[in-house]
Amino acid sequence: MPQDIVVEADSLIKIYGDHVAVNGVSLAVAQGSIYGVLGPNGAGKTTTLRMLLGIIDPDGGTRRLFGNPRPASVRARIGYLPEERGLYPGMKTTEAIAFMGALRGLDWAEGRRRGAAMMEELGLARVIDSKIRKLSKGMAQMVQLIGAIVHQPELIVLDEPFSGLDPVNQERLEALVHRERARGATVLFSTHVMAHAERLCDRLAIIARSERRFEGTVDDARALLPMQVRYTPRAGADPAAVAAMLPADAQPVHDQWRFAIAADAVEPLLVRLTGSGLGVAGLAIARPALHDAFVHIVRQCEPDYVGETDDPAAAEEAA
Amino acid sequence: MNAFLRTMFVIARRDFLSIVATPTFLLFLLAPLFMLAMGLVGGAGAAGLADANRATGRIVVLTAEDNVAILRDTDVQLRSATGRFAAPMLEVRSVAEAPDAAAIRAVFAESGSDTLAVMAGPLGNPAIWERERGALPGRYLALLAQQALTARDLGANAPRSIATFAQLGTSGPSNALRQTLGFGAVFVLFFLTLLLAGQTVSSLAEEKSNKVIEILAAAAPLEAVFIGKLIGFLGVALLFISFWVGLAAVAALVAAGTMAGPAAANANAAAALLAAAPATGWGFFIGIGFAYFVLAFLLLGAIFLGVGSQAATVREIQMLSLPITIFQVGMFGLASAASSTPGSPLARFAEAFPFSSPFAMAARAATDPDRTIHFAALGWQALWLTIVVWLAARLFRSGVLSGRNWSLWRRARR
Repeated sequence: MPQDIVVEADSLIKIYGDHVAVNGVSLAVAQGSIYGVLGPNGAGKTTTLRMLLGIIDPDGGTRRLFGNPRPASVRARIGYLPEERGLYPGMKTTEAIAFMGALRGLDWAEGRRRGAAMMEELGLARVIDSKIRKLSKGMAQMVQLIGAIVHQPELIVLDEPFSGLDPVNQERLEALVHRERARGATVLFSTHVMAHAERLCDRLAIIARSERRFEGTVDDARALLPMQVRYTPRAGADPAAVAAMLPADAQPVHDQWRFAIAADAVEPLLVRLTGSGLGVAGLAIARPALHDAFVHIVRQCEPDYVGETDDPAAAEEAA
Repeated sequence: MNAFLRTMFVIARRDFLSIVATPTFLLFLLAPLFMLAMGLVGGAGAAGLADANRATGRIVVLTAEDNVAILRDTDVQLRSATGRFAAPMLEVRSVAEAPDAAAIRAVFAESGSDTLAVMAGPLGNPAIWERERGALPGRYLALLAQQALTARDLGANAPRSIATFAQLGTSGPSNALRQTLGFGAVFVLFFLTLLLAGQTVSSLAEEKSNKVIEILAAAAPLEAVFIGKLIGFLGVALLFISFWVGLAAVAALVAAGTMAGPAAANANAAAALLAAAPATGWGFFIGIGFAYFVLAFLLLGAIFLGVGSQAATVREIQMLSLPITIFQVGMFGLASAASSTPGSPLARFAEAFPFSSPFAMAARAATDPDRTIHFAALGWQALWLTIVVWLAARLFRSGVLSGRNWSLWRRARR
């Protein structure tokens, strides 16, 4: 195994009773990268992460963290934010952060100091001495995130880190992820909100119906779908001539023609349009978003999948 | 420091502080005061009731006028002889002729004091009716008739026996005192484990309801979390004990400084008696008692923690508390029975059975001078502690992570 692979899963399987929660999922996360595990709710993302971290044992397949097949032996090098957020309500924020750091071997006093500094940095200065029960859900989530990374882990695993955060805190979290990567950490996170994955991920895996359906970069995912083209010929152009020049699936909508083409067909199309004499009154060529690719991939195994998001921007984009 | 130990102490520290640094801990610390107060109120009530019963009881003699004086005199003499084991108050009534059954029933039916026994007829051949067959009042009346007859017929010629009383010195400790001390040790250990070890049952409910358990499971071996929790609670228990022992010591010092005269003499006599009480000596007795408490706490605490980890809600914890309390009381009953029959097969069983062993062995330390057996017992209990912690930690692991199969069970099925 190459040295720069921090997380490696090979054909992981997890079965609960008659339900196959994860079926043969494989992935490899390179050191210093940001890797996203995407999938609809119930796809098996959390189970996959739990198996990788050694919280639960797989029923089949292998996993390696830092080349070690026993995740328990590298716990101190990992920071983990679980999907179900949990803090002791009676604890003060810095104490809670120090506690989580101490579990991974960080000195209590140093944990408190770093915790306070990170809280200030993330705009939580006014609640540094507050008890957890006094915080809003979003604030508590940020405190827990700080607790997960206060010991400066080499690998950060975040399960649905953006859910429950307002847009300001989502932006702060994205910045934090970039900063941690800049520090040298590897970040592995799960989400079903494509906008974050699109902005953050170097590589990603899409899991649906318990199986990995895609693995690659964001561009690779987008390339699975053709480019969307909207072409408006010069006024008075002969519709039959236009139709003859365009792909067979081109549809006229008012004065516009809409169709899809592969990415490598864009240049030939432009040559044809400029040389046809039909003119170009308007032309829009749009790359598909990650959301489109995600929905496309998921629908291949779940035809009735209608998409889901808790991100207004992504929802708008999808619409 | 080893990662396992480090995590264990992080958990122990968190749990210890989360309990101790709260206002409710003060209430918990003072709980024995409430129990003592309730005990005193209950005890005073029960004692009052008992006294009232005793005061209202009486025995009645229906006899000829000639016998009245001699019966009263004899009663006074007998009461001085029987001391604190005296019969109920005597009522001597003069009757002209022997009463029939209806008259006797009428005496028993009289309101006011309960009539416990009635005697009638000639002193040489009295008839005695008893409320309770074979009880003291009826036997006392028979003795009274015998003594009164002797006094009446022989008078000053009756042979007399004059006894000389002397108090036995305290050269050797009393076996009864040692057994009482043994029972006391069982009771104190039971009380402390009932009060303290039972708390571990609900400790995991917090982690489950707060969803912290997954953070712990990802960051640390669950065995370390389990043992850390046990140690945290043991710390709370030791703080509790230290507080009360310290308070008792201060109270004893203050009392010793203010005592004078007969009270001080009595206290000194009691102290001298107690000093020789435990067969193994006070120092060893207290030391080994402490060790047995720690082992009893850890043994029972591990079981309760393991069982409690299976509960997901407060309701489930309440449901689990009943069998746990019954189990604790069962161990107390077994060890108590053992303490009252030292050396019996029952006592040996209680000493060997892992969950009653700490209690029964503490009782044995009060009655048996052999000290080496206690080291063997500690080793035996430590072995069981290891087994119980190992099993309970796995139960804990299976219980805290929902959906996770118990690995032992899974392996067994393969």
